[in-house]
Amino acid sequence: MTTPAEAIASPRPMTRRRGRIAIVRTGLGEMLGRRELTRYLVGAELKRTHADTAIGQLWWVLDPLLQMAVYYIFITIIFASSQPDYPLFIFVAILPWKWFSATLNEATLSITGKQGLIRQVQFPKIVLPTAAVVAGTVSFVFGLVALGIVYVFYPSRLSLWILTIPIIAAVQFVFTIGVALIFAAANAFFRDIQNVLRHFLRMWFYLSPVLYSLDRIEKIHPSLHTILSLNPMAVLLNSYRSVTYGTSPPDWAGLLVVLGFSFLLMLVGVYIFKRAEPAFARIL
Amino acid sequence: MDAAPSPTGAGSDVETAVEIRDLGIRYDLRLTKRTTLKGSLAGMLRHDPGRENHFWAIRHMSLSLAHGESMAIIGPNGAGKSTLLLAIAGILEPAEGTIVTRGKVSTLLTLGAGFENELTGRDNIDLAGAFLGIDQRQMDELTPSIIEFADIGEFIDAPVRTYSTGMRARLGFSIATAITPDILLLDEVLGTGDQTFRARSQARVRELVGKAKAIVLVTHDLSFVTEFCNRAILMEKGRIIHEGEPAATVDFYRQRVAEQKILAEEEAQRFARPPVIAPTS
Repeated sequence: MTTPAEAIASPRPMTRRRGRIAIVRTGLGEMLGRRELTRYLVGAELKRTHADTAIGQLWWVLDPLLQMAVYYIFITIIFASSQPDYPLFIFVAILPWKWFSATLNEATLSITGKQGLIRQVQFPKIVLPTAAVVAGTVSFVFGLVALGIVYVFYPSRLSLWILTIPIIAAVQFVFTIGVALIFAAANAFFRDIQNVLRHFLRMWFYLSPVLYSLDRIEKIHPSLHTILSLNPMAVLLNSYRSVTYGTSPPDWAGLLVVLGFSFLLMLVGVYIFKRAEPAFARIL
Repeated sequence: MDAAPSPTGAGSDVETAVEIRDLGIRYDLRLTKRTTLKGSLAGMLRHDPGRENHFWAIRHMSLSLAHGESMAIIGPNGAGKSTLLLAIAGILEPAEGTIVTRGKVSTLLTLGAGFENELTGRDNIDLAGAFLGIDQRQMDELTPSIIEFADIGEFIDAPVRTYSTGMRARLGFSIATAITPDILLLDEVLGTGDQTFRARSQARVRELVGKAKAIVLVTHDLSFVTEFCNRAILMEKGRIIHEGEPAATVDFYRQRVAEQKILAEEEAQRFARPPVIAPTS
């Protein structure tokens, strides 16, 4: 008979043990090197979303606007919010939040949704979650058109600081990639993740300053404020809000910290993903 | 089998396209399709030493394939034929042993696997090229001949979701073979399409064999094996049980199937005729 002890102890294939740095380097290389493949996958993804709807790509603009309308009606009428220019106030946070949550959802399903392909073609699987994040970014950019529409009603809130949006978005992009890679890999092993994710994201949404500002929390509950401030999304949303609503610079220091953290998270994400990758074809 | 190359003889076997030594491919039964967190936690808690939690789809297999050879893999379902192709393609990593391939491997196993339904046939040709890592320029050169061979007319600019099964297969086959791989892996595909396309695809396979490209082909169509391949292996339960000339291997397989059929029939008869018990009333 075979040696069962060895077999049980190593559920993974006996790949040549490479250094962690080498694994991460390979993963990053694949992520950046297969741009052509990523481009086609993003194109396909964008064609797929809303392809079967009557007004098609217009939904990218309409969707955040409708979402804002729902929250606006809900919050102002029921809770009588005193925040001035509340529609703009929430819209500038809904937009990046939608980008983050929709992308994370897509990326989580990117491996399990392509099982046919993974079992048929040899290619670096890391391009799948990467393409999901890039496709989400494209729809975020379209969403900025909607922001322009909202500004028509609040011209006094417009300042040159909005030109820093790409910088904040870049930090968010790195953060999203890191989270997305981990979720995509984990979901291949446990489909529970995709179910939990919905609720997890909803909770994260309410714990992030989308419908409220953290300043308000600080007055009511200082210790809660400290905890909520540790959320990278809070730093990002605050910065978006500063530059689009507060006519003031973003939280540079906070962004720098989040960027550093996100970068580390991305390296960890690449490592985890690359370690899980050889198993995908066997377990899907 | 005595002519197996020595492990050190890297220079002596330049002609081999695929070199497989003591290959073992294992599926982990704990992490299969329907794994949930609960299931696997429960599995960890009641660790049942008597239960096997892995399954060897292939074990102790050695094989070498030269350029110019066209090898058929035949055998019953679940013999590990497709697993072997996936391993040669590099999609499944060996748990034991080694696989060395020399040259470009075409991994479009089931044709049209990577197609995106919303994209047109033309875009899908580019997408397939990107998956296989072929640069855009080379793909642009190949595209006209791919379209011509696929013979799907104006549909090439329509989304792939509008294609019939045959059209998908034709486009897939056309892409898989147009990139002139050094090693072409085909999994039960040559039976697809109508008679004309079948004849043309056969001609294409012959052409590739002629260009000293190696082909590994999994099929249940035994007449195909004798017609096309110059070598055949018979697999059963993850092992090679017969190897040689296509005609001989096919005969061996037919005989074996016939024997098993007789055995199965005897078995069935035993169950069909229950021991006669005196009627109770």
